[in-house]
Amino acid sequence: MTEPVPVAMAQGSSCWGCYQSLIDIHLHLADVLPKLDIKFWTCVADFKHQDLENYPDGSIAVGFYEGVARTEEDTHLLKVMRKKCKILVAFGTCSCYGGIPGLANFYDIEECYDVKFRENRTVTGGKVPSENLPPIEPVIRANNTIVDFDIYLPGCPPTSELILKAVTALLSGTPLDLPPHAVCHYCKREKKETPIPEILRPYQGNADPDRCLLEQGYICMGSATWGLCEGLCVNRGATCRGCFGPVPPIDSDQGAAGIGMLGTYAPIDPEKIENECKDPLGQFWRFTYPASRLGRIRIKREEAKK
Amino acid sequence: MTDERIIRIDPVTRLEGHGSLTIKLGTDGKVRDVQFNVSSTRFFEKFLEGRPMEEAPRIAPRICGICPVPHHLASVKAVEDAWGITPPPAAIKLRRLLIEAKQLSSHAIHFYALAAPDFVFGPFADPAVRNVAGVLKHLPDVAVQAIKLMQFGQELCKTVGIKAIHPTTAIPGGMLATVSEESRDYWLGQIPELMENITKTVDLAKKVVSDYIDVVTKVAVTPTYYLGLANKGVHDIYDGTVRVMDPDGKIVADFKPQDYPDYYGEFVSDHSYATHIYYKPVGYPKGIWRANTLARCNVADKMATPLAQEALKEMRELVGRPSHHTFAYHYARVIEMVQAAEHIKNLLEDPDIVSTDVKLADVEPRAGNGVGLVEAPRGTLLHNYECDEDGMILKANLIVATNNNIAGIEKSLLDAARFVFEQQGHKDLKLPEPLVKL
Repeated sequence: MTEPVPVAMAQGSSCWGCYQSLIDIHLHLADVLPKLDIKFWTCVADFKHQDLENYPDGSIAVGFYEGVARTEEDTHLLKVMRKKCKILVAFGTCSCYGGIPGLANFYDIEECYDVKFRENRTVTGGKVPSENLPPIEPVIRANNTIVDFDIYLPGCPPTSELILKAVTALLSGTPLDLPPHAVCHYCKREKKETPIPEILRPYQGNADPDRCLLEQGYICMGSATWGLCEGLCVNRGATCRGCFGPVPPIDSDQGAAGIGMLGTYAPIDPEKIENECKDPLGQFWRFTYPASRLGRIRIKREEAKK
Repeated sequence: MTDERIIRIDPVTRLEGHGSLTIKLGTDGKVRDVQFNVSSTRFFEKFLEGRPMEEAPRIAPRICGICPVPHHLASVKAVEDAWGITPPPAAIKLRRLLIEAKQLSSHAIHFYALAAPDFVFGPFADPAVRNVAGVLKHLPDVAVQAIKLMQFGQELCKTVGIKAIHPTTAIPGGMLATVSEESRDYWLGQIPELMENITKTVDLAKKVVSDYIDVVTKVAVTPTYYLGLANKGVHDIYDGTVRVMDPDGKIVADFKPQDYPDYYGEFVSDHSYATHIYYKPVGYPKGIWRANTLARCNVADKMATPLAQEALKEMRELVGRPSHHTFAYHYARVIEMVQAAEHIKNLLEDPDIVSTDVKLADVEPRAGNGVGLVEAPRGTLLHNYECDEDGMILKANLIVATNNNIAGIEKSLLDAARFVFEQQGHKDLKLPEPLVKL
């Protein structure tokens, strides 16, 4: 047997769903885990930050970084991972594009503190905690504006099959070929290129299981989203919300593509669209706001405040 | 502060979030302070504002990748409460199947992957080995049993929730996907192997508890209040009233989730981004409560299913009710795993589980204030949204599972630190031979 490959698994601010998805390769773990020499993985092994910092630069073959840099500690960990790992993988949609936590960039950080620590139905008059804690970054920047990545593996989370494919390729040193199709490519529903007369909210009515959800009036991000999920949600009745990010190239603007798609399909009066499509930012840029053009303008504005 | 010695454990490992530990010792050897520093936060409560209510169940699961199902369901229940709608009965059965499947896989991952390495290799073994990969290498039979339990739960979640992690089926008024008869039959066929693995897990848990009984009964025995959902007094993780038990074991409150502002207090500590939730009528810190497995088993009069009830009785004979033994959380976890398996079997045998009548077609938003509460594996989980007449979220308040435990964790860590640094009690603890000696 060949020697186990040194790997590091790091978590920025995130939900840990990407690592749960890795665990969900189930019995394949018996093939994969023995091939890994785990140098750092806080949820699984008792290594500390210092252990990672003390490894020689470039001594870890592959590193996975999950999550966003919400705190200065996350940013530091991201930079340390870059130094220690030969190949660094942006693991999951948060790490690739900012993901759901990136929605916080819609607001000023002080407004976030208000709701979390100062004022809601169960809190009054708290202060922002600071003792023995890493400071919070005022705005979430896309991870690839902080360090360079070698591989992007999007998905909220990436499917277990995709992770297994990627890990197998990385361990054997073969190139990782990911098909560039949109979600629609995998959707079994019939599409007739019919225009949408009105926009429906997802709870309205009962959708025809055989017809394109978008053509029935339900906003679906399938055409603007990388189909590495192979159409999981759309084939069983839920509209796509775009959790795998844009169709390649990796820096394309998913939200703009989503809006463009709606423009093509919905010859509806702009005022009516505005009224029916209530949250365009949260709808079309849900998973990619910090990495998008609009999001970058927002980040510049926040940084200018400093 | 030159007389102080500070011990930092950074990060606390084998948990899925972010935290470190600060222990302050005086020159007299006394423990001055113990802090559990939860070192990240993402502001879900703020960025849910401005989103349509029906999108909350598709955003909130991202709070936790190990317990996305309870977030999905607490969220959809909050929307339905605000809009005054009740989904069809078969939809509720599907949701129950989903949450029990999640309970099973989460408890399996916690027991086997996060906790068991210490029991298997002993608490002082090399970290490079004392982990799930080490268990796989040295005890492959146990590892395969663990993986099969996790797999059963996660794949059943996928059958019902479309995605096991961050499910997408629950929608205000019901469920978007049904379970086919063929799929139901497949899962029924898996039940005998599931029950066999559950029985083996119970046997392993009993062995671990009896081997480590000195640790269980001496370390971090910390009286607190307890919080948990119960349905007419019976253990339930999807629906019911919220019970609070005081440290003497008396039920001091049993209320509807909507009344939570009268009972829940949220304390902002200066050293943690996670707030400390407590029993408001007695204040902080006196009213520190704990949630999660042991708390639920403490507050419930009994379990809902026969094998689980038998296991609870055995646990109570060993550690009493209430049990303040922090290490007994593992035992309670296994009892809940048994109950989840029994519930799953019963739900799969119910003809309604393949019903196609699972979604209302005529849902209308309205201005409102709704609360959704379920039990997540790590504690009682509450979502509260206020919305306008278009169903757009104006305010959100989330009391997530672990926040109910942060103050209790700190309190039990203080007890453990005193035991170690002041009483040197760890030197006299009776530890068994590790299952695997390296």
